[in-house]
Amino acid sequence: MSASQNLIDSALFISQGAEAASIFLLPVIFSPDNDIDSIGQKVYKAQLTSNSSPILLKHRFQKQYRHPTLDASLTRSRIAGEARTLLRCLRAGVNVPGIRMVDATNGVLGIQWIEGESVRKLLPGEAEGEDNEEVDLLQEYGISIDEIMNLVGTEIAKMHKADVIHGDLTTSNMMIRPIKSSQAELILIDFGLAFQSTLTEDKAVDLYVLERAFLSTHPDSEPMFASVLAAYEQRMGNDWAAIKSRLDDVRLRGRKRSMVG
Amino acid sequence: MESFVFDHVRGVGSDSAYVALYSPVANASAIRKRIMDASKMEGEEGERERDAINFAFIDATLITSRLHLQTAIHQAILAESQNSLRTKTVHSEILFALNPTNNITEAIRRYGVSDSSRALLVVHIGPGHRSSLSETENKMKKAVEGVLKPLGELEELTDWQRIKKYHRLNTADDEDHASVNDFVISAVAMKTVMQ
Repeated sequence: MSASQNLIDSALFISQGAEAASIFLLPVIFSPDNDIDSIGQKVYKAQLTSNSSPILLKHRFQKQYRHPTLDASLTRSRIAGEARTLLRCLRAGVNVPGIRMVDATNGVLGIQWIEGESVRKLLPGEAEGEDNEEVDLLQEYGISIDEIMNLVGTEIAKMHKADVIHGDLTTSNMMIRPIKSSQAELILIDFGLAFQSTLTEDKAVDLYVLERAFLSTHPDSEPMFASVLAAYEQRMGNDWAAIKSRLDDVRLRGRKRSMVG
Repeated sequence: MESFVFDHVRGVGSDSAYVALYSPVANASAIRKRIMDASKMEGEEGERERDAINFAFIDATLITSRLHLQTAIHQAILAESQNSLRTKTVHSEILFALNPTNNITEAIRRYGVSDSSRALLVVHIGPGHRSSLSETENKMKKAVEGVLKPLGELEELTDWQRIKKYHRLNTADDEDHASVNDFVISAVAMKTVMQ
């Protein structure tokens, strides 16, 4: 038995798949971009010592259908990739959860537990019949929808400036964390599909994926997404023109490039 | 002295760390010399001497917070429990985890005790027993001539400029200690998968 396995056994199971699901076990959302890999992990809430803050454990468990050697090396490289991307974001000042432990041998990544709510739950259009819930939450967090959109655009721009592509931008993968005596902050989470790239194409596709996620989870959200792009544009400065024209191309053809030629 | 107990390591490896902060320290150069000599001593005498200073001596000015230290200790304990130590002992592994490069000598020179160390964090890792607590405390007292301080005073000692230099954090705002702290904790935690 390994130490990390003991830690998992004593932890609170939260979900299989997406990182942003809350303890109430929401139905896990499979966006079109979630490949098998991002489903192949379990998420827990745990504590390393009795008086420390809680952490979130992501366990990439062993896959029986893969050869053990291949499995170990894939798991290791994915944990490493996610950790490196997070560190790169932290270096660039992007709001992401801090890393708390890494055990690549056992496929465990421990990150800071974020107290807050996902942007998805704060925006209208979640489930029918609970219309007032978002309004209450927005009030409780002391933030308006417009301010959230502004934070979303700014944070993505900061991330893209560091040449990090998230790969799975959805409103579920953004958390709002309230701060005492100041405006709440937005934290990007779940870098399981993230990678590094300087290409305009990748940044445009990242935005396109978010646009699709917005439109499919939140009805009538075109104006919201427009203000995300406005904030993004402001932060990106000169790089925006190229990304914008590429985004228009991507909208016409979809996220996959043509395989012809 | 404080102790950190990592329950999930019990039965797998050493699960407890005893930590004491000394500031100021009077005999830093003597401690350093003692460690160097002890490593060369042979026979029973050598065993006894090594046992007497079986600690990690960490330059306290390079530690930004309790969580920073705790993370380094945890990664060292984890490595020991998996027989994957990259240095010779679990104590030197803490110093290795703290340094952002893979150079062990550099890690010990930077983060270990040096002749000019003014404040030291003394850490002992072992299995957690009540009896070993007072025993460890006695050994620490014998080894270190300094004033014992609560761990909470750690943050007052931090040399932010040097930490930023080691981690190559040049762009960060000079007063923004919180984000430097966040960064170094993460850097320590992901040390094993660093490129």
